[in-house]
Amino acid sequence: MKCPRCVQRIHRAAASCPHCGFTLADADLRFGAEEVRIGRLTDGAGILRRGEREQVAAALDRVTQRFPQVFVAIYTGALGEVSNIRQFGFWLLNRSAFEDVPVNLPNEAGILITIDPESKAAGMVFGYLLDPFLEEADTFACLSRAHAYWLEGHYADGIVRLLGHLESVLLKRSQQAKKDPEYFERKVVPPPRLGEMVRRIREGHRPNAEIGQEPDKAVTK
Amino acid sequence: MKAALLAGWLIGGVIAPAAAAYEEPMLPLWNPQEREELESEGWVAGRLLLTDEPVPLEEPLKIEVSSVEEVVVEEAPSLEIPEKFLPTYFAERPTSFLIDPQGLLSEKDHKDRLSFLNYHAKDSSIDLYVYVIGGDQEIPGSVREEEVIERFFSEGRPAAVVFYYLGVPQSSTFYLSPSITDAISAAEQQRALASSVVLAFEKLDPAEQIESFLVQMSIRIYWMDRMLDGAPPSTDELPMVVKRVEIRQGSELSKNPNVQSLQVMAMKYAYPAGIALAALILIVCINHWLRRRIVYRFPEFEVEPRLGGAHAAGVGAVISFASATVPPASQRDQVPDYLRRA
Repeated sequence: MKCPRCVQRIHRAAASCPHCGFTLADADLRFGAEEVRIGRLTDGAGILRRGEREQVAAALDRVTQRFPQVFVAIYTGALGEVSNIRQFGFWLLNRSAFEDVPVNLPNEAGILITIDPESKAAGMVFGYLLDPFLEEADTFACLSRAHAYWLEGHYADGIVRLLGHLESVLLKRSQQAKKDPEYFERKVVPPPRLGEMVRRIREGHRPNAEIGQEPDKAVTK
Repeated sequence: MKAALLAGWLIGGVIAPAAAAYEEPMLPLWNPQEREELESEGWVAGRLLLTDEPVPLEEPLKIEVSSVEEVVVEEAPSLEIPEKFLPTYFAERPTSFLIDPQGLLSEKDHKDRLSFLNYHAKDSSIDLYVYVIGGDQEIPGSVREEEVIERFFSEGRPAAVVFYYLGVPQSSTFYLSPSITDAISAAEQQRALASSVVLAFEKLDPAEQIESFLVQMSIRIYWMDRMLDGAPPSTDELPMVVKRVEIRQGSELSKNPNVQSLQVMAMKYAYPAGIALAALILIVCINHWLRRRIVYRFPEFEVEPRLGGAHAAGVGAVISFASATVPPASQRDQVPDYLRRA
C-alpha cells in the first residue's frame, strides 16, 4: 500500500501518510470535495471512436459477469501537467457516483482505470474489497499489456487487452483466496495495539490450568 | 600437260608390266602316299574341298505343293470349358464375386481382384460378379448366359455379371440382373462394357487388363447405381476419370497386404474414431463455455479505511506511454514524485 502523493509505503490503517501527511482532504482541495456523477465508461478525452465504446463496454460487462462483486470503470480526460494521476484516481474513486453501476456494487468493489491522453499516462486504483487481492505489481502487469497499443493510439484495443489480463489476475486471486482465505485476511487485519500484544504475551505465560478461564478471573486470583 | 604425260608414263611403264608379272600360286596337291595313309585312318580333313572329283549336285528338295483349300488358314479351334469346371461355373449362384475355378488368374491377382470386388460390393448397391474364362475357351452351347443370369441373379441384391475372357477383353459379355434391367438401358450397358474394354486394352498383360476392366466397370456401375437412385446419369468423361484415379490408387495400395489390413482397420474404426473426436471437441467447447460462465467470488474482509478515503485507497501502478523508448519494464519501480522532480 502506497501513498498516492509520495508513493511511499504506508501501513494498513494509516489515517494519513506518515511520510507526507497526504489525505483525501488534500485531494479534495485540488479536485473538489463534492460528489461527481459519472458513467462507468466516461470518455472525457474523446479517445474512443464509434464502435470502440461498445467493444470496451462489452469487456467491462464481461468482468462483472465473471466477478459479480467487482466492477471496472474507465475515465479518460486531460488532467493537465500539474495534476497527479495517482491522486486523481484515488480521489475520483472515493468521490464519484457511477450512474450505470448497480446499487449493490459500491465503490469499494470498483477498479478505476484513468487514462490521460495528453500527458500520455494511465493509472489504476481499486477499492477496499480488492485491497487484499490486488497488488501494485498486478496493476502494473495489466497496464503493461496495454502499453504497446496506447503508444500507437489504439486506446480501445489497449483497454480490452488490459481487461483481459485483469480477468486472469482476478481469476487466479479468487482461486487462491478460495484455497487459503486466511492468507489474504492476514494482509488486511489491523495491526495489533501495544496493550493487546502485552496481554497476549502474559496469557501465553499463564499456567496450563488457567488457560480457558476468563482473563479477569485469572488476574483476581 | 605435264600431269598427263606423268600419268601416261605411270600406266604404261610401271603398272602394266607389274600386272603381267603376277601369277597365282599353285594349289597344294595330294601326295598319293600320304593320302592313302590318311584315308586308311578313315577321315581326311578338308576332303570335300581338296578333292579332285567334281562336287555332286544336290537333288532339289521335294516339297509338296499345298492345295488352295489347305492354304486358307483355319482358325484355331476354340476349346470349350472343361466339363469338370462347368458345375462350379454354372450350377449355382456363385458365393464369390470372382469365379475362376480353372485358376486362370495367379493366386495374387485372384486375391487382389476379389478384394476389389468385395470393396465394390460394400460401396455399391449393385454387386459385380466376374466369370473368368480362358481367352481361347468358349462357353459350351448347352449353357446359355441369359439363362444363368435369369436363374441365379433374379433374387437378392442387384448384380452385374461379366463373362470375362482372359486376354481377350473384347469378347467379354455383360449382363444385369433382371430386377434392374428395365432401369438401365441397353445402350448404357453397352457403353459400360465398351469403355471397360477400351480401358483394358491400354494394358498388355492379361492380369493388368482385367484389373483395368474391372475398375472401369465398377465406375460405370457406380453411375448405374446413381441412376437407380434417381440421380441424373453422368455425362461421362470427367467423373469417370476422377473416379478411376481414386480406385486405381486403392488398387495399387491394396496390393500391399499391410496396407490392405490398415484399410480394413480404418474402415472399421473410422466411424467410432470420428464420433469420439467430435465428442471430445464438443466436451472441450462445453467446458470452455461453462468456464466462461463460472462466477468467481472473493471473500469479503473488513478493511480499515486509510488516508481518509471512504471507499478506496488501493493505489496501483501508473504507466507512461509517451515514448516507445521508455518501455514498461523501465517503469516497474514507481518512484516518488519528489524524487522524480529531483
